[in-house]
Amino acid sequence: MRKLFTLLLLPAFCHINVSVYAQSGKVITGKITAKSSNAVLSGVTISVKGTNVATQSDANGEFKIAADPNQVLIFRYIGYDGKEVTIGQQNNVIVNLAEQNTALDEIVVIGYGTAKKADLTGAISRVTAGDIVKQPALNAVQSVQGKIAGVNIIANEAPGSAPTVIIRGLGTASGGREPLYIVDGFPVDNITNINSADIVSMDVLKDASSASIYGLRAANGVILVTTKQGKAGRAQITYDGYVGAKGILNRVKMADANEYVTHFNENQAVVAKDGIPLALNQKNNTDWFKELLQTGIVTNNVVSVSGGSDAVDYFFSYNNFTEKGITDGSRYVRNTIRNNNTYKFFDNKLKLSQTLNVSFSNDRTKPLSAFDAAYRQSPLVPVQYENGRYGRPIYNKTTGEATYILGAGQAGGKLNDTGNPVYENKMQEQYNKNLSIQGGLQAEYQIFSDLKFTSRLGVTKFFSQNRGFNDIKDRYLNEDPLRTSAEFEELKAKNPKSLTYANNSLNLAKTETFRWAWENFLSYQKRFGKHNLDATLGTSREKVEIGNMSDLTGYDVPNKSQYWNIDLASLNYDKTVIQTSYTPTALVSYFARAQYNYDSKYYLTATVRRDGSSKFKASGEFFDIFPSFGAGWTVSNESFMQGSGIDFLKVRANWGKLGNQKIPLNVSQVLSSPGSANYNYVFGPEQDLVLGVAYGSPARNLRWEVTEETGLGLDFTLLSNRLSGNVDYYNKTNTNAILEVKPLLNSPFSQKYFDHGGKISNQGVEIGLNWTDQINENLSYSIGGNYSYNKNTLKEVKPAYDGAIGGSLNNGQITKQLKKGQPLYAWYMLESDGVWQTEAEIADGVATTGAKPGYLKYKDQNGDGVIDDNDKVFHGSYLPSSTFGLNLSVNYKKWDFTAQGYGVAGNKIYNGLKGTRVNGGENITKETFDNRWTGAGTSNTHPGAAHDALASSYYLESGAYFRINNLTLGYTIPKLYNSTSKIRMYLTAQNPFMFTKYTGFSPEITGTNAGAPGETAGIELSAYPTTRNFIFGVNVSF
Amino acid sequence: MKFNKLHIALILTAGLSMSACKDSSFLDVPSQEIVEEGDKDQVYTPESFVNSVYGMFTDWNYSFSYVAITDMLSDNADKGSSPTDPGGDKQEIDNLAYTSSSGSFGALWSHWYKAIGRATQSIALTESTEIADAAYKNRLIGEAKFLRALNYFYLVRGWGDVPIQDQDLIIRAPKADVYAYIIKDLKEAIEVLPLKSAYESKDLGRATKGAAQALLSKVYLYNQNWNEAYTLAKEVINSGQYGLESKYEVLWRASSENGTESIFEFQARGEAIAHGVQQYSEVQGARGVTGWGWGFNTPSQNLLNAFNAEQDNIRRDATIIFRGETLWDGRVVGTGVENPMYNEKAYSSANAGAGDGDKNVRYLRLGEVYLILAEAANEMGNTAEATTALNTIRTRVKLPNTTATNQTDLRKAIWKERRLELAFEHDRWFDLVRTKQAPEAMKADGKTFQEKHYLFPIPYEQLTQTPDMVKNPGY
Repeated sequence: MRKLFTLLLLPAFCHINVSVYAQSGKVITGKITAKSSNAVLSGVTISVKGTNVATQSDANGEFKIAADPNQVLIFRYIGYDGKEVTIGQQNNVIVNLAEQNTALDEIVVIGYGTAKKADLTGAISRVTAGDIVKQPALNAVQSVQGKIAGVNIIANEAPGSAPTVIIRGLGTASGGREPLYIVDGFPVDNITNINSADIVSMDVLKDASSASIYGLRAANGVILVTTKQGKAGRAQITYDGYVGAKGILNRVKMADANEYVTHFNENQAVVAKDGIPLALNQKNNTDWFKELLQTGIVTNNVVSVSGGSDAVDYFFSYNNFTEKGITDGSRYVRNTIRNNNTYKFFDNKLKLSQTLNVSFSNDRTKPLSAFDAAYRQSPLVPVQYENGRYGRPIYNKTTGEATYILGAGQAGGKLNDTGNPVYENKMQEQYNKNLSIQGGLQAEYQIFSDLKFTSRLGVTKFFSQNRGFNDIKDRYLNEDPLRTSAEFEELKAKNPKSLTYANNSLNLAKTETFRWAWENFLSYQKRFGKHNLDATLGTSREKVEIGNMSDLTGYDVPNKSQYWNIDLASLNYDKTVIQTSYTPTALVSYFARAQYNYDSKYYLTATVRRDGSSKFKASGEFFDIFPSFGAGWTVSNESFMQGSGIDFLKVRANWGKLGNQKIPLNVSQVLSSPGSANYNYVFGPEQDLVLGVAYGSPARNLRWEVTEETGLGLDFTLLSNRLSGNVDYYNKTNTNAILEVKPLLNSPFSQKYFDHGGKISNQGVEIGLNWTDQINENLSYSIGGNYSYNKNTLKEVKPAYDGAIGGSLNNGQITKQLKKGQPLYAWYMLESDGVWQTEAEIADGVATTGAKPGYLKYKDQNGDGVIDDNDKVFHGSYLPSSTFGLNLSVNYKKWDFTAQGYGVAGNKIYNGLKGTRVNGGENITKETFDNRWTGAGTSNTHPGAAHDALASSYYLESGAYFRINNLTLGYTIPKLYNSTSKIRMYLTAQNPFMFTKYTGFSPEITGTNAGAPGETAGIELSAYPTTRNFIFGVNVSF
Repeated sequence: MKFNKLHIALILTAGLSMSACKDSSFLDVPSQEIVEEGDKDQVYTPESFVNSVYGMFTDWNYSFSYVAITDMLSDNADKGSSPTDPGGDKQEIDNLAYTSSSGSFGALWSHWYKAIGRATQSIALTESTEIADAAYKNRLIGEAKFLRALNYFYLVRGWGDVPIQDQDLIIRAPKADVYAYIIKDLKEAIEVLPLKSAYESKDLGRATKGAAQALLSKVYLYNQNWNEAYTLAKEVINSGQYGLESKYEVLWRASSENGTESIFEFQARGEAIAHGVQQYSEVQGARGVTGWGWGFNTPSQNLLNAFNAEQDNIRRDATIIFRGETLWDGRVVGTGVENPMYNEKAYSSANAGAGDGDKNVRYLRLGEVYLILAEAANEMGNTAEATTALNTIRTRVKLPNTTATNQTDLRKAIWKERRLELAFEHDRWFDLVRTKQAPEAMKADGKTFQEKHYLFPIPYEQLTQTPDMVKNPGY
């Protein structure tokens, strides 16, 4: 029955081929499978050599063709080596095709279509399922790190978080730094809601000529994610599961109790008038990191079912990802369900594809500040006192003991202002739930054999709910171990309206958003002799609809979490309600692309996109046009290159314009806030709140950010396709970068506004090299490396905006400045210049206020005899100039081994943990303790226990590192019970080693606001440290 | 068949381009949370624009930075807190070692200009809006002018010549021009503002005629325009709107908020939505195990000595929290606090160390008007009236009448009285500079006052933005 069906459908497959049974001769049957996996291959072209007789294999990999015994059959299939078989006496030809190991034959996704990598004129890199699965991560983008030159990925390991991606240098200052993610054709904000195992490939469009088909938001590059589809054939069931144990990779050794005491006393001896030294050998020697941290556990289970028939291909998967974080109580759980189906009608002329992904995550977050507190808190403080109260940084000033007990006439003191990390961690009760439903429906209609129409609609609905509980009373009691509940109740009775004495507060917040995109395009593909033309023409509309947020706060709810309802909050306190809707954003686009090549030698690509964005409402000029061109020459296809030993050689050149519009709605507005803000005031005997409003800064006439990019590239393969590589050069300029500008201090406006203000240039080189070889049937290996260099420069700035400051350390110190000729927000601070050794030296030199021996000395750059902001100078950038990756893989019989490494160089990291608010009572690292200045002549590099808190180059350290990202050893048992079933077991070590001189936890620092350059990017403060993860997993398929 | 297909292709392509016609309406999105300037009438009244000028008093800048550049740098206060916690620039401010980079000056320079901006905008808006009730309309304009003058007064006292915002942002207008601007605003405000008693109860706390008169009187004092200062002070005292609290110690407690002596104060409450002067009480609250705050801006030994020398126990104990004492509301300060003294005028009984406290910061009260009257009268040669005014203030705190009899002695007595009466009311530094007592007073407090200290430094960040602005000498 099935065979009959196949026969009936055959014309659909071969309607461009000539008749199957055209010639006389016997009918040959056969079956084609893949050499490596034994999977059946459908759609393989089988032709009889020297004739125009041809057919294709069916869904079961089977074929029938008429041929004479002396004829030769040629098998061709994209991605596989071709094969020729002389028929001879065979009636049934069983063939297995070897997968091609040259990357150039890969098919890549280019946006509104696909192309053979060998045919590209731009720079597109691809990571496929195999690579993604080998680097287990919640967010698949993480697995790209180190695999693609020019893509700088900064990992963020807090459970549920996403890495930061910078493609070909940071080209914009104010928002919109992330690449555009397109999942199965639809733009999305991020891919954290997608199960990594559902992904077939991620294609990164790095250059302007490739990316400009997504002109509107392509300036930061485009990442195209394609999810799995069913394949014709019988149902396949797979199970992938792993379990991993996570620990902190680079734990900084802190000073112990006695070292702390020594350091504290040295500090007090310098700064305090009435300091009484702390006693040595005290009761506690708390290792805060040991108390705070635990082994994190990650488990991931994926089950998928896929298959297909002539009418329907289906793919279904379920995934549960659970991470127990490295701090107590932190937990992230994500469940995803994916269903991708394709329905085929009218001899495959109409295809309807549907994708649906439902992702539900449940996140219990713990404060990042606990890491910071664990670094700073004194080891003299116990986790808990004998009376059960949590340890506080307090001591008896008379005895020098870290205790809360004071005898008569004894004075108490505080060691520092840092919280108890264990208590802070325990007290944060923050629960987030997200639900995202993402789906798409696509219709493809083959109008003519060379013309196809596609229409698709994609939607994402997102719900988020946060619940936070704060036990105010418990915090009050733990401020001081002697406080009693009765005292609290008394104060509460005395101040019935004061929120300071509410028992607790409960906050509930909900957010809801909806976005959709609708795209229609025609694709045309035609060959005229040696001329090949491929063209696309289409439109797109996209809208993030009005979203809304509501936020409720109540006080004095029952302490038990089951009763955390605003309804149960006390009526003694006003409940607060905040509700708002979000302004929608709308985009309209028209695009066209033509790709032409002559005889696979000369290539031309032209793309144009016209985009309109609602962001530019103030000017009403919504639209701009983004053109691009690419040209390529496959030198190796020229006759004069034959026999040169070069398998493939192609040169590429491209130029294009890209847009970026990711700023808030640009209109002049009136500012207000429902809460405690400086617009509002209270009047009347009861001091009732009155709301006030003020004008925001006037909106400037903004246009699109336009980035122009020129690129040159070279691809080659040599030595029988064993060595392949590419070299790319690019020069990218954001010609009218939008800056977020702080108004003049003495102007009427305080709201930062957006204006075109500069030119940002990124120039770089990318080199990729890969060596692949198959020694024999049993042993094959590949070694690959990539390197990229990028130079980031702020070429021009409007004079009024030059010198804007950034990189606040939240202690009044700043570390960065936006300045012409420097990298974007380069390090800008005082230059440390040794250590003051004696009072006499200070008296003779130029010192800061209150400088004492042991303090850092700073260079008086302008020689005016005062150290102030005028003496700040530039010290390079937090942006690495070089990134590089190394990949090794070996397959020996049933064993597979891979090793991957990633590194960066040329950047500096500000060790904010060491450098901010150097309070004498905060703990220090063992290294700081050992190296410190302890008297004249002991050190002219490291300050003494007492020093100031100014930001200086002393705290800037090289951010270069090389890290082994992944070591995996796997063993496969093939043919479990039939030819296609197999099981693979593997052990993976993620981040087992890191080589760096950086003395903090991790040189990989995203910073606040997803790496906003003017904020804490590159500054280590309260960051989730890099972890090391040991994983055991299995992949089973039936 | 072929024709049909072509037909379909054409229709589809036409469909693609058809959507073009409505692009601009599709892109012209209705803003939601952002109120567009053109829609302000739909949502807000002119009064809400005036409210936001008052709102500026509740900003964070009015705590940490404000206490630094009004009290800490003077001889009344020290930085306080832990010796190891410099509080950013607070140590250098206390030591008179500040530079143009000291952030507190920049914070308030900017803050006061923003408040002026809001006032100017609200005046323009109110003037251009049709409001039937002319008295109400004028009142709103008067309130904004009072507030604008108040903010310019801060600027001109601190920096001398400063740009007048609605004239030029770079050129610094001569001090005299700035004062003329302030005086004009205040005179116009006096014309239209109601008396304290004429306001509806719900508007308690808004700028009154008395507030404008008292402020103008003080402005004249700074300009040594004794006659005008005297006349206005007299008018306020005789207006029947105000009286002295009988007990000095209640002056900064919640019970006397907007009370009889109050002429103008920054309003604050400590409930949900807990809107007060952000962290004013917390920054200055006692620090340590038994404390509740950060412990900054502590009374200096020099101030304590001044109280003790005068045997001024009532004002001393109302101004200073001593380590170990039990406060008036029963709170035990305990011995576990880090500094021997704290500012009691910043203490909030209900909110202690809460971020948004209920402490109304007193800006002008009748007590000061008496001292303005005394000083002006004395300079005018009217010793008798000066003595009477001065003794009114002394009598309340059970101090004997002044022994000064001649103009010079009386001047010194009035200045000393201002110090003790108004300690920690954010006036001492400007008094020292105004009366040129600063070099001597600072020397007595162990600090070196240089000529440049008569003016604050123009903030570094402003000079980065407008490099052509003239700096103050010495920075």
